[in-house]
Amino acid sequence: MAHPPVTIAVDAMGGDFAPDEIVKGVAEISLGQTHINTILVGDQARITAVLSHVKHNPERLSVHHAPQAVPMGAKPGEALKEFPEASIVIAAQLVRDGTAKALVSAGNTGASVLACARTWRLIPGVKRAALAAVYPTQTQRGSKEDPFSLLLDVGATVDASAQDLAAFAVMGASYARVISRNEIPKVALLSNGSEEKKGPARVVEAHELLRKVPGIEFVGNIEGVDLPKGVADVVVCDGFVGNVVLKMLEGISETAMSLARYAAKEKLLWRAGLAMLSSGFQRIKTLTDWEEYGGAPFLGFDRLFIKAHGRSKSRAIQNACKVAAKAAAADLPAQIGKMVQEFVPAGAEEVEVTKPLRVKK
Amino acid sequence: MSLVDRIDPPPARQLFRWDLDKTYLRTDFDTFRQLVKTALEKASEKVNVPGTAALMRELKREETRVLIVSGSPRQMRRVIEDKLRLDGVVWDELVLKDNLGNVLRGRFRAMRNQVGYKLPVLLESRLRYGLDVPETLFGDDAEADAFVYSLYADIVAGRVSRELLSEVMEAARLYPDERGRLLQFFDELTQAREKAGGLVGIEPVRRIFIHLDKLTPPTRFSAYGPRLVPIYNYFQSALVLMADGQLNSLSVIKVALEMVQGYGYNLISLSNSFQDLIRRGIPVSQVAGALAEALTTHNPVLAALLPAPDILAAFAGRVASLGAPPPAPTPVDVDYRALIDDARPRTDKKRRLSANED
Repeated sequence: MAHPPVTIAVDAMGGDFAPDEIVKGVAEISLGQTHINTILVGDQARITAVLSHVKHNPERLSVHHAPQAVPMGAKPGEALKEFPEASIVIAAQLVRDGTAKALVSAGNTGASVLACARTWRLIPGVKRAALAAVYPTQTQRGSKEDPFSLLLDVGATVDASAQDLAAFAVMGASYARVISRNEIPKVALLSNGSEEKKGPARVVEAHELLRKVPGIEFVGNIEGVDLPKGVADVVVCDGFVGNVVLKMLEGISETAMSLARYAAKEKLLWRAGLAMLSSGFQRIKTLTDWEEYGGAPFLGFDRLFIKAHGRSKSRAIQNACKVAAKAAAADLPAQIGKMVQEFVPAGAEEVEVTKPLRVKK
Repeated sequence: MSLVDRIDPPPARQLFRWDLDKTYLRTDFDTFRQLVKTALEKASEKVNVPGTAALMRELKREETRVLIVSGSPRQMRRVIEDKLRLDGVVWDELVLKDNLGNVLRGRFRAMRNQVGYKLPVLLESRLRYGLDVPETLFGDDAEADAFVYSLYADIVAGRVSRELLSEVMEAARLYPDERGRLLQFFDELTQAREKAGGLVGIEPVRRIFIHLDKLTPPTRFSAYGPRLVPIYNYFQSALVLMADGQLNSLSVIKVALEMVQGYGYNLISLSNSFQDLIRRGIPVSQVAGALAEALTTHNPVLAALLPAPDILAAFAGRVASLGAPPPAPTPVDVDYRALIDDARPRTDKKRRLSANED
């Protein structure tokens, strides 16, 4: 089936390897994905310099000049004040105006979130946006047999109320339905015990709310030990806890690889054993490779934002663009909006956006 | 064309020289299977590179000549002529390669060699039309068109010495008879130029278009100077020709229409192509105004076919979104000795190494 054409704004100046790797990723996308048009937002001269040396199809990409860029380590609020014409701001405006359907950035997370929050609107009924991340599990789910679960929030909202947690669950379930083609996703609350009365008051209250949400299969509370088992397709927590969990999962993956490298150096017998297992290790590496995931969706806004890792290279940017295109084609914000409307009672509270946690992902 | 014009045609005022495979026609002959398929295709099965038929039709006027020189075998003449007729293209010269003769004489090197075949053909043809007639050439990035066309342009302009030509022939491993033929035309051109008192103020080859069939990065061709414009599609060449004063806005719109109606191009891909030229410093910004004028004048056919306000907004938007336009590329003297690997066949090891270094 032919994919509908979709235009994505890419912040060319955001990320540790910007603009070179970002431009290269977009150049690759222009060669292979005929339905994706991209707008590279950033310093025109620098983007053109990179483009002129790489194979690309200019029919599927254009450049939108932005004279400023937000440094990776800058404080979000101050940075946006100092750089009002930063690439991330201009890119968010292009999405707001309908020139592009989604935004991809590997830049400063806090500044990106703030730029979106100041430019876009929250979906009616959603009080706070959430940053979601996928992580590999031992269970496969959905018609795509997706091995990934979705964890949210991983850093956008540090203090989430019970209502917020319930809204995160609804947004995560919508995402799983669209991206993983998982019609009725299993949703869980991350807590320090599986009992419904265990955990802080907001988690207990959220548990009560989630039991009444239609269109999802609420499996109750889960503990940290259940995360890699894939007990749930969507795991909900507040941004502080989510960020700690995400970093720990990344740390475990990196440590496992370091241990394997150490073992290979230490003994010939171990090296031989590792060589025999190399294809299996390669599969694990592919499964746990964050560059394959394509970035973390920022859910809750009426527009789409895929946040790629700050260390993203061209492959990660390509995958982030593919995820953005898929979510845009399915009109994910509208899907979330529809589900939230079913869940949130009429006359929901006024929206508000809190200062996001500064995270790498 | 009237009978009188056919018997005694008006003198050529502009030459448009085309390659066929990967320039005019979408041809794949990288594998033996593709080669056989190409050879057995009927005229109606051959597919154009989008926009080429419309562009060639628009370029053909009473005072212009459309000349075709292709590496396709002579045995394909009938099919190629049928294809051109199907496209409504009128041509003045069609030269094909004697591949069978090369095979029968065991000259296998000559089958892939572009310098030994195309350069003498170009020079010989040029002697027929005169040195002061401006010329535009169309080639592609698959073989050695950029090198051969540029060298040809500089030979006609008198900027290439006999010594340099000999070095190129040596590097391209030409057969002795090919060298003799090439040097003969070179000498004849030199004499003709001297007889005409030189070519003061005349640039015989105005523009060389290289169709980036393999999507080779355009900077790969920057050593050939701004005379050579790498193009991703023929809407881009139509825009440059319009900026050069060779095409009017209506002709450009016809090329664009063919690409939209027949090949799936849309407003985004065309306006992106337009912006790509501007990003590369090719001065086409001013043609946007002329195109806008053509679109907004009361032409009922255009009005029915094209959403003029959308087109104007898309093109103006692409220009505005770039901020300050980049500077135009500066003219350079082409250093053929440094580029000599480009003269070798595409499969040559030295050429592959040179391309990888880029």
